[in-house]
Amino acid sequence: MAPADLALALTALACLGLRLAGVWLAGGLTAEHPAIAWATAVAQATLAAFVTLAIVAPGGALAEVPLAARLAGLGAGIAACLAMRKRMLPALLAGLAVMLAIRALI
Amino acid sequence: MAATFLAFGAAVQEAGLSPGWALLACWGIYGMPGQLVLVQAATIGWPGGVGAAVMGAVAVNARFLPMAVSLTPVLAARERSRLLPAVPFIAVTPWAAAMRALPAVDRPARLTWFLGFGLTSWVVAGSASLTGFHVAGLLGTEARAALLFVNPLYYALLLAADLDRPAPRRAVLCGAAATSLALVLPASMALLAAGIAGGTAAFLLGRRHGAR
Repeated sequence: MAPADLALALTALACLGLRLAGVWLAGGLTAEHPAIAWATAVAQATLAAFVTLAIVAPGGALAEVPLAARLAGLGAGIAACLAMRKRMLPALLAGLAVMLAIRALI
Repeated sequence: MAATFLAFGAAVQEAGLSPGWALLACWGIYGMPGQLVLVQAATIGWPGGVGAAVMGAVAVNARFLPMAVSLTPVLAARERSRLLPAVPFIAVTPWAAAMRALPAVDRPARLTWFLGFGLTSWVVAGSASLTGFHVAGLLGTEARAALLFVNPLYYALLLAADLDRPAPRRAVLCGAAATSLALVLPASMALLAAGIAGGTAAFLLGRRHGAR
């Protein structure tokens, strides 16, 4: 089996297991239980680490976009998100536009 | 949601994987952060092997557990086994919609509502991914770069929007700070180690803060 197919099958099974475990545990545990709070914190921290790595040290074609352009896009997106009461789509478009503009300038 | 799956399809094409893989990842994993971790690993040639990538993908999707815990009582099924068809649809978009809408829906109709919403989301996700996969090859360099930047930026914005709540703020800041582990650890382990170290630190800080 190719590595990508094996990784997909294992991840899909593990994610199904997480969902089933949650349904099975419901009633016995509340969303505030320490084990649940820990799993939530690990998921959020892993996502933050993934985003940091994907923006600061990406692979593939995104690595060809200069770091300054990626950081400017990120900054503009976050500023727009906070200025527009967390409206995601306009903030996303603002971040992409600034990333492309800085990329063109450099 | 469709924009992130569109960008995912483009990233799968960029990684040299097949459209079938993109579709099965959408429907089998149905958790974009985990899907992206696998695609990123495929892009850079699976450093550290498949196991490290899978563990990173599962850790980043660990939120399925607390989501299922909080959703199950809201679905109000008389027997737990009746929830089995709904299990694959427990993911960010259907979960958020269900937690918002279901309290106003009659209890016997809630499971059907969730199945309908989840199935629709699946179809949209799969279609958007296939579109992204096929469109990516036709795009110029700039549009392609923009498409590949969509998901990191989108998830950065989602995390930034959560910074006004103490528990997510601790987890996000600790996770981002723990990314410096990538400087001293092999690339294969960096994501998982940063997630576990950052998440555990945030959890312990939260308990210490709550105990005061």
